[in-house]
Amino acid sequence: MSKLKNKVLLSGAEIIWECLLKEGVDTVFGYPGGAILPAYDALNNYSDKIHHVLVRHEQGATHMADGYARVSGKVGVAIATSGPGAANMVTGIATAMMDSSPIVCITGQVPSAAIGSDAFQEMDISGAVIPVTKHSYLVMDAKDIAKTIKEAFAVARSGRPGPVLVDIPKDIQSQIIHFNYPEGPVRVPGMPLRKYPEVSDLKNAVKLIMESKKPVILAGHGILISGASKEVAELAELVNIPIGWTLLGSGAIPSSHPLNMGMMGMHGEFSVNNAIQEADLLIACGMRFDDRVTGNATTYSPNSKKIHIEIDPSEINKNIKVDLSIIGDLKTVLQQLNPMLTKKVETNWIDTLTTWQEQSSKRDIINLKTKTLYAAQAIHDIWAETNGDAIVVSDVGQHQMLEAQYYKHDEPNTLLTSGGLGTMGFSLPAAIGASFFRRDKSIWVIVGDGSIQMTITELATAVQENTNINIAIINNGYLGMVRQWQQLFYDERYKETPISSPDYVKLSEAYGLKGLRVKKRSEIADAIKLAESINGPVLVEFIVEQHDMVYPMVATGADLNDMISRPVHDQFQESEM
Amino acid sequence: MKQTLIVFVQDEPGVLNRVASMIRRRNFNIVSIVAGRTEQKQITRMTLVLNEPDKTKQKQVVNNLKALIDVYDVVDVTEVKCHVREYALVKISVNKTYIEDLDLLFSKGHCRVLDQDENAMLIELSGNETNVESAIDILNKHDVLELMRSGKMAMVSGNSDQNKPKLVKSDPNWATQRLLESY
Repeated sequence: MSKLKNKVLLSGAEIIWECLLKEGVDTVFGYPGGAILPAYDALNNYSDKIHHVLVRHEQGATHMADGYARVSGKVGVAIATSGPGAANMVTGIATAMMDSSPIVCITGQVPSAAIGSDAFQEMDISGAVIPVTKHSYLVMDAKDIAKTIKEAFAVARSGRPGPVLVDIPKDIQSQIIHFNYPEGPVRVPGMPLRKYPEVSDLKNAVKLIMESKKPVILAGHGILISGASKEVAELAELVNIPIGWTLLGSGAIPSSHPLNMGMMGMHGEFSVNNAIQEADLLIACGMRFDDRVTGNATTYSPNSKKIHIEIDPSEINKNIKVDLSIIGDLKTVLQQLNPMLTKKVETNWIDTLTTWQEQSSKRDIINLKTKTLYAAQAIHDIWAETNGDAIVVSDVGQHQMLEAQYYKHDEPNTLLTSGGLGTMGFSLPAAIGASFFRRDKSIWVIVGDGSIQMTITELATAVQENTNINIAIINNGYLGMVRQWQQLFYDERYKETPISSPDYVKLSEAYGLKGLRVKKRSEIADAIKLAESINGPVLVEFIVEQHDMVYPMVATGADLNDMISRPVHDQFQESEM
Repeated sequence: MKQTLIVFVQDEPGVLNRVASMIRRRNFNIVSIVAGRTEQKQITRMTLVLNEPDKTKQKQVVNNLKALIDVYDVVDVTEVKCHVREYALVKISVNKTYIEDLDLLFSKGHCRVLDQDENAMLIELSGNETNVESAIDILNKHDVLELMRSGKMAMVSGNSDQNKPKLVKSDPNWATQRLLESY
């Protein structure tokens, strides 16, 4: 750092690391290769300050940076070489974009003179990621590296966070220049998003809220990004409004909060979906009316006024037309709005919701004796055995929905999952990334047998880094969610959804981590205790009922409260045992 | 209805790519796009015409454009009094030329002969969309050998502040509470 005080001679590669230190980076996730060699060579001099995690596939690096960013609120950093290395990052970058996760990806590029010549491992990555980044840069002069990296971090974390990619040709990394760190604020043409709301909008919101009899708060990921959990709970308590949350809004409001009614949407609680359809006011906080939470958009909450509190103006009226939009940082907005609300709304609305809740919770398999272990039971018991206090990283599929239903989060940023893009293979690397920030908590990966096989190579990374994570593979021998759709909407014509798995216990042994297998519900508690007691990665395979489905469910195109419930005969058969 | 936007962007490599990519990705439809230098160094000005009748979506595209880091500002001139001009080059075969038609065209002032030999006549058309359109209609009665139209360029009438773009770089670096606390 002291080098920065005066003009000194530094290589472009050294400048990269100096700039990362300036941004407070202490951990990066990457994979070396030809075009990024100068940067890795320079890393030799920075190893005491920056820990480099060697991944096994560059997609893993981006998910790790993403996971790290989601738990820490800091910008995650991923590094790769040109061409295939950079291309492998695209899935992770798109995942981060959809879930507004701030990451900076630094890629090597072929020497600047060779750009455009189809050189070995050349690919126009800064062009390729235009649609899936907030911004991307190609640096063509070492003098621009510091300015660009500084700008990349500012762009990634400002306003609505997201991924940024910086592509640096090999010769630019080797170029030696007189270096001076650009002090002062970053300035870009793009206008910053508003932080403070319009007062007139707040006044209108107060009017709508005070007039409402059946309001619902829709709690989204924006609450976590903005750090507005306290303010949203305060809003709910002030006026007595029930809260439903989106998948990524899980944990924004503690599950134990009396006004927290559960998840909304395709596999949400019937009571919440019904409340949304019956409501006369929706207050959407940092969410974007994704198709998975609205059901049929044309019949969505037909009688309600809608207030949308959102940082990104382009989200307003994108999927659902709203009556009032308040543009600004959610925490800031609510800090101003809450004091303007004077009294509780008189209502028996909450009681109505509670009645619906009781109706829907009767069809639950958690408390039933079943012949085989059900995925829902396994996930429920992981919640119970970890006292609901773990950080859970779920993947994509049936287990993801079951996690959302049965793992009740009481703290913000304790569920990481790929909600927007739905990237299978996200969980294992994201958990490894998260483990570099949250060493205080136990971290559980909840992943299906399909998803784990997409990025299972990262087990080696977990072992090499002795990452303290527990991996629960919910193995039903199927791509379960796809099979569920084939069963419901394609007349049970199962095609390519049965999937084989390696012997995960033997595989764990081969990778050098502890592997356990659970087949009965009675074995779960001990397995979890054992896994928690081991310092380092542990894999626990749960062999679960193959043909179970996630209930309740809203079919695509159906109204939000038109839900398919768990068939009653299902339970009869099982409870005879 | 068509939507006409004036977009002010940073003069950087790839900026046209970014604008076009966003519009394609969001499923908007470009009718025409013209980009060129302006009175200010390092600022490129684009006139973007989109085929988007929905008012909500018209707002959406403006916000989506403003979200791009390279974009200074966007002025929606769809309902603002402004001059929209386009340009066309038409080559017609002269052996069938009806002189009276061309005389009519020339008299309106939107048409100029750039080049002529015994076989072909190269005509320049300029004006608003209707001017160019009707001139082309007339020329189409003749033997059109080649035709090339530009996109549209727009400039707002008068000098009121209301439609002036914001052309200064701003500091994007306010982050949410959570991101700030971490640094």
